[in-house]
Formats: sequence, C-alpha cells, structure tokens
Amino acid sequence: MAVSDEIWKGLENWEKSKEGWKGRKEAFKTDAGIPLKDLYTPLDVEKIDYARDIGFPGQPPFTRGIYPTMYRGKLWTIRMFSGHGTPEETNRRWRMLYEEGETGFSSAVDALTFSGVDPDQEVPGAAHEVGKEGVPLYSIRGMEAMVQELPIDKVSVALVVEPLTSAAITSMYFNIARERGLKKEELIGTTQNDILTMTIGYIPWGSLKPKDLLKLACDLIEYCTIMKEAPRWNPINFTTYNYREGGIDAVQEIGMGLANAVAHIEELLKRGWKIDDFVHRLAFHLSAHRDFFEEIAKYRAARKLWYRLMKERYKPRNPDAYRFRFHVQTAGCSLTAQQPMVNIIRTAYQALEAVLGGTQSLHTNSYDEAICLPSEESVRLAVRTQEVLQEETGVAEVVDPLAGSYYMEALTREMEERIWDYFMRVEEMGGVVEALNTGWLFNEMSKAFNKRRRDQECGEEKIIGVNRYVMEDEEPAPPFRTNPRAAEIEKERLRKLREERDAEKVAKLLDKLRKACEVRENVLPVVSELTAAGATLGEITGVYREIWGIWQLPFVA
Amino acid sequence: MEKKIRVLLFKPGLDGHWRGIMTVSKALSEAGMETIFFGFKTVEGVVEAAIQEDVDVIGFSVHSGAHLEWSRELLKELEAQGARDDFLLLIGGVFPEQDHDELRSIGIDGVFGPGSVTAEIANFIKEKLQDRGAV
Repeated sequence: MAVSDEIWKGLENWEKSKEGWKGRKEAFKTDAGIPLKDLYTPLDVEKIDYARDIGFPGQPPFTRGIYPTMYRGKLWTIRMFSGHGTPEETNRRWRMLYEEGETGFSSAVDALTFSGVDPDQEVPGAAHEVGKEGVPLYSIRGMEAMVQELPIDKVSVALVVEPLTSAAITSMYFNIARERGLKKEELIGTTQNDILTMTIGYIPWGSLKPKDLLKLACDLIEYCTIMKEAPRWNPINFTTYNYREGGIDAVQEIGMGLANAVAHIEELLKRGWKIDDFVHRLAFHLSAHRDFFEEIAKYRAARKLWYRLMKERYKPRNPDAYRFRFHVQTAGCSLTAQQPMVNIIRTAYQALEAVLGGTQSLHTNSYDEAICLPSEESVRLAVRTQEVLQEETGVAEVVDPLAGSYYMEALTREMEERIWDYFMRVEEMGGVVEALNTGWLFNEMSKAFNKRRRDQECGEEKIIGVNRYVMEDEEPAPPFRTNPRAAEIEKERLRKLREERDAEKVAKLLDKLRKACEVRENVLPVVSELTAAGATLGEITGVYREIWGIWQLPFVA
Repeated sequence: MEKKIRVLLFKPGLDGHWRGIMTVSKALSEAGMETIFFGFKTVEGVVEAAIQEDVDVIGFSVHSGAHLEWSRELLKELEAQGARDDFLLLIGGVFPEQDHDELRSIGIDGVFGPGSVTAEIANFIKEKLQDRGAV
C-alpha cells in the first residue's frame, strides 16, 4: 500500500500535536509482550501486499478465513464441553444443551477415564474421583448410555481424551454408532488425541513415554483416515488451548501447536504414508484469551502459517490440506471465583474474538467454572452468549470484518513472524518429542506460570475481583455438586459387565494386544475388538503400561 | 542459623491439575522455605515421608471436586500413624467456599481456594508455626 506525502505530513502534524500529552503508562504492550504504538496508520501496513499477504477467504494464504463465505453459509458450531456424574446424567445434560440450541456435543471425562484406570482397580483413592471432573466412560456400556437416543447421525461428537485412552474411547464410540446402524462414512466428530495435553498440560496418573504417546496418537490417525475406517472423523485436535492455560502466551501457543503437528506428520511419513493420505484431517483447538486484538491476530496468523508450512515443506495435492481448521475454547484460567458473574462478561468478549477470528466451532465457559462444574443455569447462559452473537449482534454477517484495519494487519504480521521463530526454535532442538524428553517444553510452561503468578500478585496483570475492585463479604453462589453415588453406580456397571462378558475372549484379545504392542503394530483393530467384547479402559491401558512402561517426568518443581 | 521451614507438597489421587501446587511450591521456596513436591503420591506414602523428612507442613491440592474425601483420608492416615498433630496441614485448589468450614472441621489448618495470594499462604505458615512454637 503506497503512502502519500499527505499522509506523511499528517503524521508529522499529529506527532507534534501530541507533545506534552502524558500516557497512562510508560509503555503499552500486548499480552505476548509486543510493543504497541498509540496509533496505526497506512505506514504500518506499507509492506503488506493485499493479494499476497491477505487475499480472499477460502483462498491462499487463508488469512481471511478457510471458506469462501464463512458464516454466511454456515455459522460456527456451538459445542459445549460437558460431562459429570454418570453417563446417564451426562446424557440428560447433553439433551438439555441440544434443546437449548447446542449444535455439537463434546465430552468432558473424569480423571479415571483420562488416565485409563477402572474404579475397581487397585489404584488408591480412584473411587473418590469417579464422575467428579467429567463423565466416567470405563467400558462400552458407559459410552452407550452417554449417547443414548441422541441424534449422533446429524450432530458431531467430540471425544476429549488423549492418546493414553483415545483408541479405547474412540472405538467404543464407533462400535456403538455401528450398532445403531450408522455407516463408517457417516461418523462425524473428533478425538482430541493430543500428546502435549497430557505431558505439559494436565499430568495424567501413570502416563506413557512421549514416543509411545505419539505412536498411539498416530495409530488413530492411521486407522480413521488412512485405513478409512472413519474418513470424516477428525482423529486428532492439536489442543494448544491446554498449553495456553498454563500461562504461556499466544506466540508460544501456536508455535508449540505447529511443532506438535509436525511431529505427527513426520511420524506418519516415516511409517511410509504419503502426506495426502492424512494431512487434510488434522485439526486444532485454540484458546481465546484476554488480549482482544492479539487473539484475533493470532487466528489470522495461524491460518497463514499453516498454509506456509504446507506449501513450503509438504506440498499436499489436496486443497483442503491447506485449510487450518480450529475449535476455540474461551480461557478457563481467566475466570475468577470472586464476583463470578463477571466471568459472563469475560467469556462474551473472548467468544467475540473467536468469531471475529473465524473459528469453526466454539465452547463458551460457564461463570461458575472457577468453583465447580457448571450448573444448568450457568451453562444455559454460556450457550446464550453464543446465540446472542449469532442472532442479535450481526457480527457473523460479513467475512473477516477486521481485515484492512492498520492495527489488525500490522499485528497479524508481527504475530506471524514471532510464531514462526518460536516454532523454528522447537524444530531446531529436534521437535516436540525431544523437547519433552529433555524437559525443555515443561520448563517453558513452568517459567510462564510462575511469571503469571508474580504478575497477578504484584498487580501488573489486573484481574477484576481479585486485585482490582475487590468486594469484601461476597455471598458465594450455591455450587453444583456431582452425584455422590457415582462410584458405586460405575463399580456396579463394571461388575455386571464382567459377569456377562465372555471372559476367555477378553483374555485372548488382551494377549493379542500385548503382542501388537510388542511389535508396535497399530493397536486400533484389536482395541476395537476388545471394547466390543466388553474389555474395560483400565484393562486396555494396563497392557500399554505393562509392555511399554511408565514415563518418569523429567522435571522437578 | 535459623532452621528453614520444611514443606511437603503433593497431589493425591488421579487429578492431573498440577500447575497450582507447583506455583505455590515455587512461591514458598522464594519465601525462604524448603519445599519438596512429590507429584502424585498416596496418603500413606506422604505421611511416611513427612515423618521421615521431619517436615513442618503438608500441603496438597485438589481440583477435581474430591477435596473433602482426600482431606478425610489424609487425616485418617495421620491418626493411624500417630502423627495427627505433628504437621500444619494446608489445602489449595478449586472448591466452593461453602466447604471451607467443613475442611477446617476435618482438621485442615489452612484452606486456600481460587484467587489466594501466595504471600498469604507463606505468612499463614510462618504465623501458625510460631504460635505452635515450632520455629
């Protein structure tokens, strides 16, 4: 964009006119530390070429969105991450959400399901955690109860489990869907299946080594996409959201996400597959955090960088492979237990970021989530927050409405450069698996969360209700409680299952899985047989632990 | 030289939300205490280690909603090993304010929910240990 003499002159005048005006702060910067000017002008986008750098939606470099008409054709999916108590209670909550206007399901699982532990297994205290953080899914019976009578032929389901249990949980779902008469071409949904979530995000009990987690993650991609067992299923969702929640910034978030995707691509290429066999099915799950404009620039930059990575390094033929598809969750770590209603406001702004950034699907947090799992009332408001955006505000009527803003374009460019540099740093140290083995990635996280704590405590990071506008003697809202009988109910479900299933068949299949693990064959075919035969999550994960061993995390606090 | 306050921190059960307690661990060592962070540990293992290591404080963090269950279990184990009153007990994590009194009545000395400031935790430890004449 050419800059005329008139603009130069105007700028000079403006610089002069603001002499003597004092700013609120010494220096202004974004959440990721990018220095900010007080004003952006055509000068800041001088080197940006519209056709080359911004382009048109649905076309390279996809800065403006991955589809030609974006929300004019189809609004984003309202997908609420949800689960608690028992599969039956979760099913009731999902029905309620569906009636309230939700357009995609997403399962939050409990700590046992996440870690691959049965409630009747000899893990001390496991029973305390049943149904507490999410839905318990220990066998195909639980899965069946969770999706009972839900329209899973039309509405996609996200299974939020990681490589440790992704094969078992996904195959339970596929087996139930087939029992209900769905063809494999009709299975629509996603398995999160993210190795970094369970190594630097949440730390599951008894986790596996990074290379074994990577193997399991790639097994599911191979099974669903390459072997075409579920060609429309997204077998992975690189969940940068979970790393971001630990305190890292937007640049690190996407940098780590790209490096993680590359680790999977390289592993599958090493197995002898071609890039076009699978890459079009890789998807992402990003955060929507506090810095409004930076987050929007982040989504725009991420799309551009994915396109660049594909074009420069992998050159797939399938045009869909160049489209960076992502789900967004508003930032849970920005919520406060103090003055919880303020969380509704935070979440609404973050949801708007995701929409202005062109997300494909969105979860909005409920206001009580810094205290407990969401109540019916709070989750309904969270759904309404998205419905207001979709139906009242008009923000979805025009594609990428912030494009062309001097600030937005300059910030997008800056983010793009910083993210690529960070991504290259991880690449240069040997990629994410190596960076996990050495503890470097975890160290990055730990530096970030300690810094964030200091910033919050000294007031550098302002938080309404915590270090600003604090209210004494707040009346706490009544908390939502999960079913206290959940452990009993789930133990009974497993007892019945073990009584009714063909024990000999399960034992034989578990042996078959041991052999598959020993020679590092794809585990999915036998895990699928196992879940159909009534094997439990703990039995299946137990085989991985037995054959491959448990990972000792390479860090100290 | 003044004896350093020794703090043992752990995560009970299977709840993998480690960041909160790791942050507290770092903050307490910055406040001049000696901290040991175990990650996942059984209550039996923790009580045994606390006795052996002669720590002053046992702290744990629960984000799963099982804060009452784990507090009761820790107290049961301390009683079983005859160490009911030997340590200052702290809990942190995500749980409703309505449960704070119950946590205290179970026997937890310091209850720190979301939004707690680490300096308050450090001060609490110092004051309580002084009251007890432990430091």
